[in-house]
This record gives sequence, structure tokens and C-alpha cells, in this order.
Amino acid sequence: MPTEGSACGPAIPLARWADRQLDALARDFGLPRLSGSTLLGERAAHGGYRIAGKVSAGLGGSRLMPTRDGNWFALTLIREVDRELLPALFGDADLDVRDPAAIAAAVLRSDGAALLETGRLLGLPVALLDEQPVSPAIDVIARGPRRDRAPGHRPLVIDMSAIWAGPLAGHLLWQAGMEVVKVESRSRPDLIRRDDPATFDLINQGKASVLVDFASDAEKARLVTLIRRADVVIESARPRALRQLGIDAQRLVGEVPGLVWLSVTGHGASGEAADWVGIGNDCGVAGGLSRALAQACGTPGYVGDAIADPLTGIIGARAVLQALRRGEAQRIGLSMSAIAAMALDEERAFDAPRLEAELRAWGTAPGRPFPALRRRALHAPVRPLGADTAACLPERAPC
Amino acid sequence: MKPGTRLKSAACDTEVMVIRSADGTIECGGAPMGEAKPADAAPLSADFSAGTLMGKRYVDSDGKYELLCVKPGKGSLAVDGVALVVKDAKPLPASD
Repeated sequence: MPTEGSACGPAIPLARWADRQLDALARDFGLPRLSGSTLLGERAAHGGYRIAGKVSAGLGGSRLMPTRDGNWFALTLIREVDRELLPALFGDADLDVRDPAAIAAAVLRSDGAALLETGRLLGLPVALLDEQPVSPAIDVIARGPRRDRAPGHRPLVIDMSAIWAGPLAGHLLWQAGMEVVKVESRSRPDLIRRDDPATFDLINQGKASVLVDFASDAEKARLVTLIRRADVVIESARPRALRQLGIDAQRLVGEVPGLVWLSVTGHGASGEAADWVGIGNDCGVAGGLSRALAQACGTPGYVGDAIADPLTGIIGARAVLQALRRGEAQRIGLSMSAIAAMALDEERAFDAPRLEAELRAWGTAPGRPFPALRRRALHAPVRPLGADTAACLPERAPC
Repeated sequence: MKPGTRLKSAACDTEVMVIRSADGTIECGGAPMGEAKPADAAPLSADFSAGTLMGKRYVDSDGKYELLCVKPGKGSLAVDGVALVVKDAKPLPASD
């Protein structure tokens, strides 16, 4: 089997679960065989990350901190503007928002549930060690008319998502033979392009690159024209942000036969949770992975590297492939935290003793390198930013 | 006003969380906001009726005040009669 711990570090827990998903994708949908440890670990392995304890691997933007009432609070601070919200989170105008020790002290003066509620209201990526995801992992939130595709039809995917989970889903659909167009905002392109080009290239190779000015009604109209002839849309905007941009997912799914619309979210695509922010590491905590680690080895920590991202990318690709086969238009909401919880439950049901052993090994390895991996080869060019804008978004729609 | 305080509009459904504030009077729809909703609603002033948007952060030009809209409404936000404006959102950097 492809997933084994290497000499440099223990296996990433849930890599074997990912292997089984990828086996099924190869068997049922003809994807080339990829390994779970590669998709879960390639960013960390190539970035030289070390296994994290209570500060997340790599950039270290997410921290697990004990609360007054004996819980653990995860807070991810990677946007400067989010730090300005910390006085409101803790009710303390004098907090030094740049000092991790001051922030940890403020967490220790607070109760976990209150921090979670206020943090979510403030739009901060937060989680609590013992929370339960409130949304289903995979939730069909709208349906539309069917489309029967001719044999040999090559589906067109419009990938408007950013960072890791959504782009990985798009990458797997590209591996399945689909045409993928990556759409980025002119004012805020996908920052992983700049911050981690090696990972960007792996998960965005072979995709056409289109830039859209979301402040321009004309450009947005051209994007909607492109979406109306697509088979799949992937996006990871908060539903409110999408509406404020003027993209009406529910309406498009109701009108375009067979359109499969994947909405990648932290904690759910409908209800109150749709407004919550979640990122890979805190969503892993919200999905119960750090609780499982604490149960296995006595102290909580981060499992993997932003693990909810690659788990969600794999599940997203599977959900799209299954929906395309059914032919019915659907909007599918993915919750990263619920997917992490689902993967944990399924792995526990599959082989609980082995999972426990892996969690124990992981929880006692902070500071050691991530498992070493051979770098995947690029099989297609990475298109320069915006290189395909004119071709994909013509000023006059093709007749 | 302590950061983290939740204020309700007297003139509409708007609710905000205080991110930053000073000694001025925070208003919505032309009426002072408070931690409790008054028994009698204040009239919505036509000059402050542009509405608030859920999740948007509103600031004054000096950067002394910042309010996060946690429930939208028909009124618009002001401090001592001077309207607040929406602060631009920032994108998420690489996943972490």
C-alpha cells in the first residue's frame, strides 16, 4: 500500500482513509492512482514543515490554547485585519494583539463556548476542541433540471476557488480528464500562487487561467455566460460574499441543466454556519481530530497540515463525479469540519486500533519532519495568471 | 464603549458589535444605539436609511470607531451625526 510512515516521520493519520477514497476514484472514475499520503502531505513535505504540536505546521498561524473552563480554543490569525478584532473577542481594549503570550493569557481568562460564539460572530477562524460540526459533510442544497451527456463528452469545470481544498478538487477533476478553467479575481488573485508556488503548480497544472474584475458588470456577465455552458462550478466564497458579488448560485443551478455547483465552506453552506469562517487547521480541530489526538496520547495538537483542506478536496471531487453521472443539476455544500469528522469516524470504524496507534505516534512526534515524499512530476504547463482570459471570456459570446 | 459590546438600533433591525470606539454617540437610522432595544422604536431618519450589510465592518474617517454588523437593517450607522463607511475586506492568504 502506498501509505507508510517513512524513516523521517510517522504516517499522517487519515492518509489511509484518503487512500481508500483515491482507490475508489481510480476504480469508478478512471483517475490515475494517487496516494493519500501524497495529497495530505505534499505541501508540508516540500515546504520542509515539521510536525506541529499546539502551533500549526508551516507558517504557524493557528494556535491551540487552553481556556479557563478546561477546554482548548483554536484561533487562526493569518490576516492582519483579523488581529484588530481581538479586543472585541476578549472584551479588552488594551490587549496587545501582536503578542501570542498576551492572546494565550486572554484565552485562559475566558470560557471556551463564549469565545467560540463571539469568534464566529466576528468572522474569525476559530474552533473548540470538543465542538461537534453543525452541518452535514456533504449537503445537496439545491437541485435543477437534468442533462444527458453524450458518451465522450468532456466536462468543463469553472474553478473559482482559492487556496487548497477547492483547487485540489479541481485538480482531481482535471486528472479525470475534464477541462478546468481557474478563475481569479483581478483585485485578489489566489494568494497561494505567490506564497507557495510549488503547491500551487501541483494543484493548478493544466488549468486555463482567467482573470475577472468583479467590480465590472460586463466582466461578471461574461463569467456568467461561461458558467452557463459549464458542467461544474467550484467556489469557496462565503455564500454572502458570492451574493454580494452578484453570482446567484441557486438560480444558476435551477436554470442550467446538469450544472453541478460545489460550494466549499468551513462549516456549512446553509443556515447560520454559512457565515462562519474556517480554514484547514481550525476545521480539523472543529472536526474532532485534536480531541482524538488528546484521547490517544494525552495532549491535544494539530493533526497533519491544514488537513481538512486535502480531505475536502478529495471528497469534493468524488461528489462532483457522482453528481455528473446522475445528470441532475445540484448545488453541493461541503463542510470542511464535518468532512474531517466523517473521515475520522470512517477510519475508526475501518481499523480503530491502527488509527489509535497512528494518532499516538503523531502526538508524540512534534518537531520531527513530515514524512518525506518524492515530488510529483508536473504533467501539464501552469498557465500564467490571466493568460486565457480573452479566449474564455470573449467580449462577444461565441455564436 | 468596551470592545465586544453588542448594540441594537432603536430605529431598525440593525445590530453591531463594537470593535473600537471612543466617547461619541453611536447611532443607527439617526437614533442612538443601546445594549437594549427601547420599548418604543425611534423613527428612521431619511438621511440615515441606506441600510447595513451583514458581516461588513464600518469605520469613521479618523479610525477611532469600528463596528461590525452582526444583523442587518434599514438604518445606516453614524457617530455624532457623521456617517460611517464600509471598510474594504481583505483576502485570505495561503491556508493555515
